[in-house]
Amino acid sequence: MTDKKTDKETIPAKGKVGVYICYCGGNISDHVEVEKVRESMEKIPGVEVARTDMFMCSDPGQEMIMQDLKSGTVDRVVVASCAPSLHETTFRSAISRAGANPYIYEHANIREQVSWVHHGDQATDKAIRLVAAATAKAEGLKPLEPIRMEARQHVTVIGGGIAGLRTAKDLADCGVAVALIEKSPFLGGQIAQLERLAPTGDPAADIVTELAGEVLGDPGITVHTCSLVETFNGYVGNFTLGVKKRPPDTDCEKLSSLNPSGRTPGEFIPFKGFYPESVAARAEELSIETGVVVLATGFKSYTPRRGEYGYAEFPEVITLPELIRIMAENKTTDNCLEINGRQVRSMAMIHCVGSRQIPGIHPEDESGNFNEYCSRTCCSATLDTAGTIRQSYPGTRIFELYRDIRTYGRGQEELYEQAAKNKVVFLRFEADESPEVIRSNDHDDFPLRVKVKDVLTFGEEVEVPVDLVVLATGMEPNNVSELVDMMKLPVGPDRFLLEVHPKLRPVELPVGGILLAGTCQAPMDVGEACSAAAAAAVKAAVLLGRGYVELDPFVAEVDLEKCRGTGACVEACLNEGALNLVEMEVDGEMVQRAQVTSALCWGCGACVAVCSENAIDINGWTLKQYEAMVDIIVADEATA
Amino acid sequence: MAIQGKEGKILILATETCAYPGADSVGQAHSSYPTNTYILRVRSPVMFPEQFYLDCFAKGISGIIIMSCGEECPYEGAYHALAKRVDRVYQLMKAQELDIRRLRLTAICTVCNRAFLKEVNQMNEVVGELGPP
Repeated sequence: MTDKKTDKETIPAKGKVGVYICYCGGNISDHVEVEKVRESMEKIPGVEVARTDMFMCSDPGQEMIMQDLKSGTVDRVVVASCAPSLHETTFRSAISRAGANPYIYEHANIREQVSWVHHGDQATDKAIRLVAAATAKAEGLKPLEPIRMEARQHVTVIGGGIAGLRTAKDLADCGVAVALIEKSPFLGGQIAQLERLAPTGDPAADIVTELAGEVLGDPGITVHTCSLVETFNGYVGNFTLGVKKRPPDTDCEKLSSLNPSGRTPGEFIPFKGFYPESVAARAEELSIETGVVVLATGFKSYTPRRGEYGYAEFPEVITLPELIRIMAENKTTDNCLEINGRQVRSMAMIHCVGSRQIPGIHPEDESGNFNEYCSRTCCSATLDTAGTIRQSYPGTRIFELYRDIRTYGRGQEELYEQAAKNKVVFLRFEADESPEVIRSNDHDDFPLRVKVKDVLTFGEEVEVPVDLVVLATGMEPNNVSELVDMMKLPVGPDRFLLEVHPKLRPVELPVGGILLAGTCQAPMDVGEACSAAAAAAVKAAVLLGRGYVELDPFVAEVDLEKCRGTGACVEACLNEGALNLVEMEVDGEMVQRAQVTSALCWGCGACVAVCSENAIDINGWTLKQYEAMVDIIVADEATA
Repeated sequence: MAIQGKEGKILILATETCAYPGADSVGQAHSSYPTNTYILRVRSPVMFPEQFYLDCFAKGISGIIIMSCGEECPYEGAYHALAKRVDRVYQLMKAQELDIRRLRLTAICTVCNRAFLKEVNQMNEVVGELGPP
């Protein structure tokens, strides 16, 4: 081997370590004296240079590390910054770009595990000790080659809503085979529950029909409705999903309603979805071998608690999705909107129901959760609906009760202006003084009254008599706890799935080969969900594009100079076949020695603990490295 | 630098798939805990032989918390093997008259902030009561 980066001999056992300490723009330096850490590191024998930067992950920060590698000043790198889950790959990649081996890298976590949890001198002391320990570990690093595995040119998309459909189609267009798994008998998800999409007013049915048609017509996509993922195994490039297809139990009613009208598979059914295939009569199980999994598991509309603004107590209180459906199914040309047989002369629309909840003000749900986030779509949806009603039914007066109007997207502010022009009356309330919905007196002409303290008129108490109250309900993530457990997915405090980083690694999860598309990640409008879906499709195509995936080479390696062939490691090995005793010639004698099959080794280290000779170790995570770190932790002086 | 010296040091072996991101989650919540805690990221604590623990105590570590993935362990069988090893370490600790409360095996998930803090505080109480090993 002549290539410097692959030649283990060119890097001495004891290295020239470069230590790079990040300020993180104050996140670290507000609590840790970064320059003091640098000074301490400079005293450590074996540390060639110690440098600091405001943002080590920035281009100039990475460039500094690359320069030191290119000039031969250092041959091992320690970066002390945020959690390794965020930037380990960033710095490994910088090292590669400098022509060095990416595995001569060690990370010290002095943000999440120091500056964000400790303060004062003690924080600096602890940072010094952790960085010194990382330096000790770095000295024991050696260049490694990633393990290459063939990647299956296949992606599985879980969820058949707009994001899942978009991802599947974009991937198929890239030439990647796709399996689309949907638990219900219908495609289209939540979009299919709408009439028209704000702000453009496109009919939801057209969008779903067109996209579902493209998906079903693509020979590269296999659609499985009424299907659930039940088992999950493998790693990026080589996952195996166990999928169960079963006759629907919850949607029987919806399906039986299809027959009288003589509808057949291949049609869009309003407020149900696109019905692609006859449902399975019997349960069947299938196994899908796939390279990447895209989660497009979507959201559900918030269901108000009984009594929340009178919901479920007064029949005149309904949610916005309920209103949209009733209006679509009962179109009239009257002067007034008619809902459930009642003329609506006056109606109130209340914003932020089930969104932006504040602990201490709003009650938690039965699991103790608050939806503290803004659902981002309900303002526009409410204003759009109000505008439609005012134009079609000028006899219906509308009062919108809001905390803030957030029509943030392109063409959405116009919805607010139009509603105002159409004489929608706006009343603003504070979070801790929510409107009250009460039953009117018997002799009152209106069934309900809405009481609100209006901020716009400096706290005037207003009482609005109404025929209808509409609650602008927000979004909640669908319950995917089974997938979360199975695939070890990170979930945010808001219960949506958590991407690694919105700017550095969007739509990615820390688990390699699993990506996010759409509202499983956060509230989004249709356009945003489609953008996220397209991003996930591209990332999936990129992952598979090379035809192989590279796995970290953190697997067991036998030191043949120490191995005595006792077989203890083979016995302790947890994955059959990963470790074997083989015959080989040593000093002219035939002996038995342990041999690792890298592709099968998990790198758990069960073998390491049982070898009395310490003749087997996990590359990149050796016992000696841990002992060296402990030595630094217990030393009187971390940097002595 | 100021030396925490004789103040009992606690070593935390945290699995990279569960407990280590769990500790990061505590950081993201800015929940403070004592500084005498040293978290080492491990693939699986099953790699450490009995002697590693005894050596740590001999070197002056006052307490060790193994924060594993528990039943969520990505390596099938590793947690069981680890639990058996920890039992053997307890036997060896008793033989050396080391209080076995200095070593604790627990499971911490990626969002188990409260459990993480509870374990750290409990070990601190133990270490405070027992002093150096």
